[in-house]
Amino acid sequence: MRTYEHIFIVHPDSVGDDYTAVLDKFKKILTDQGANILKVDEWGARKLAYPVKKQTRGSYVLLIFEAVADVIAEFERRLRLDEKIIKFQTILLPNGAELSTDEPAEEAPAAEGPAAEETA
Amino acid sequence: MANQTRPAAGGKSSTFRRRFSRRKGCRFCGDKTLKIDYKEVRTLRYFVTERGKIVPRRISGNCAEHQRKVCEAIKRARNIALLPFTASHSLD
Repeated sequence: MRTYEHIFIVHPDSVGDDYTAVLDKFKKILTDQGANILKVDEWGARKLAYPVKKQTRGSYVLLIFEAVADVIAEFERRLRLDEKIIKFQTILLPNGAELSTDEPAEEAPAAEGPAAEETA
Repeated sequence: MANQTRPAAGGKSSTFRRRFSRRKGCRFCGDKTLKIDYKEVRTLRYFVTERGKIVPRRISGNCAEHQRKVCEAIKRARNIALLPFTASHSLD
């Protein structure tokens, strides 16, 4: 099991029930595959630094979870399929979680996550 | 090196010393509590120019190790739209 930190941006038009449904859906995808969610942090709607899919705003959600590497591939595939997710990024936390005092430091394999990110 | 704290007012022949006083040294080495995190845009802002470029080490004064980490953090922040790649992203 490795610890990952994942951020995804939900489409600004999905608010309220829509938004919680999206959140629950992806949390469920993780837990169904045996991942252990350590932390969920909803940053709320923020302005994006540049437009993504013609949106200038988006709701950020930060997830920290433990999972085996295969889970990431499936999780990202599902994220790509969902049109309500406008962007995401997975980062491997090399030193484990250390609960929220995470050190990003170096990471190798998870760099493929952002690199193989959704088409711009 | 020894008189780094002295501003330019010093009577030292500062022709090859720095003319204007500049904060020297890596701020992350100086203050171990500072964390480099791609999610903390406010600290990273200091290391990008107005155009969104990464400030080089000779300007920012970072040591190699920390410049590397800052650099990586900025790139991650850019990727997830916390920082701009460039200033000219037109918001229509």
